Amino acid sequence: MDTGRLSQGQMIAAVSAVVLLVAMFLPWIGVDAPDVPAGVPVPEGLGDDSQNVWKGSSIDVYLLITAIVAIVSALLAVSGGAEEFSFFSAATFLLGFVGVILVVVWLTIDFPDDSERKYGAFIGLAASVGIAYGGFKAMQEEVAA
Amino acid sequence: MDADRLSQGQIVAAVSAIALFIISFLPWFGAPEVTGVGVGGGTVTVGGNFSLWEAENPFDIYLLIVILVALVPAVLAFAGGGDAPLAPVATTLLAAVGTVLILYQVIDTPAELDRKIGLFLGLFACAGVTIGGYLSMQEDARRERY
Repeated sequence: MDTGRLSQGQMIAAVSAVVLLVAMFLPWIGVDAPDVPAGVPVPEGLGDDSQNVWKGSSIDVYLLITAIVAIVSALLAVSGGAEEFSFFSAATFLLGFVGVILVVVWLTIDFPDDSERKYGAFIGLAASVGIAYGGFKAMQEEVAA
Repeated sequence: MDADRLSQGQIVAAVSAIALFIISFLPWFGAPEVTGVGVGGGTVTVGGNFSLWEAENPFDIYLLIVILVALVPAVLAFAGGGDAPLAPVATTLLAAVGTVLILYQVIDTPAELDRKIGLFLGLFACAGVTIGGYLSMQEDARRERY
């Protein structure tokens, strides 16, 4: 295994993919409890509630596939098999780009009215942008090489 | 306009994509209809069937992207424009992922809704787009070889 074989684009995509995998377990959607004076007990079921992408959205499987493709692309480069599977960089770019569109659509058009956007969704969006950018840069580096 | 320039794979992908677009308006999910009295005293009915577009789900946008990418070679051929060399790879990849996503929805239906005819027809149509894209890739590779 030789990490020196990783191009900058593959490195960006792989790191972004790991960030995306972690972000998928952070809160993406939630309901904030109403403000109550300090010391007043909040009844059960009325407190803050948030869900990660696995429970609160239907783009979980797509984002998982995108992250796996980006990581496999980097693993192939490290193991010296990237030349045989050169389409992986294009696949990383394409899936990452469409992933950005899907997360933006989910955050805007398809977002439930009575819920709030949590920080996990924005980290996931940034990670998807990173995967798309990394895939694009890796494609350019392959052409230049 | 030069439809003869379309390869067999491109035709399979384009026809399947058009079928998928039409199927997206059929019922994909359903919930038992429940009628009750609303806040204003009127009768309110909830439930019924949902097309792909009515379900709150970015999946509709994804399949629209798949359909548009699959139709690019056909549109270029009809417009007399040039080739789109990356279109077969993009079509195969996106449609294959789309097929996996529909299959996942068949197995794990959101909010325990009922599966309707559109979901199954959509699965076959998306698989058709994948096969068409794959055939196009093979045809391109054969053309480059000879």
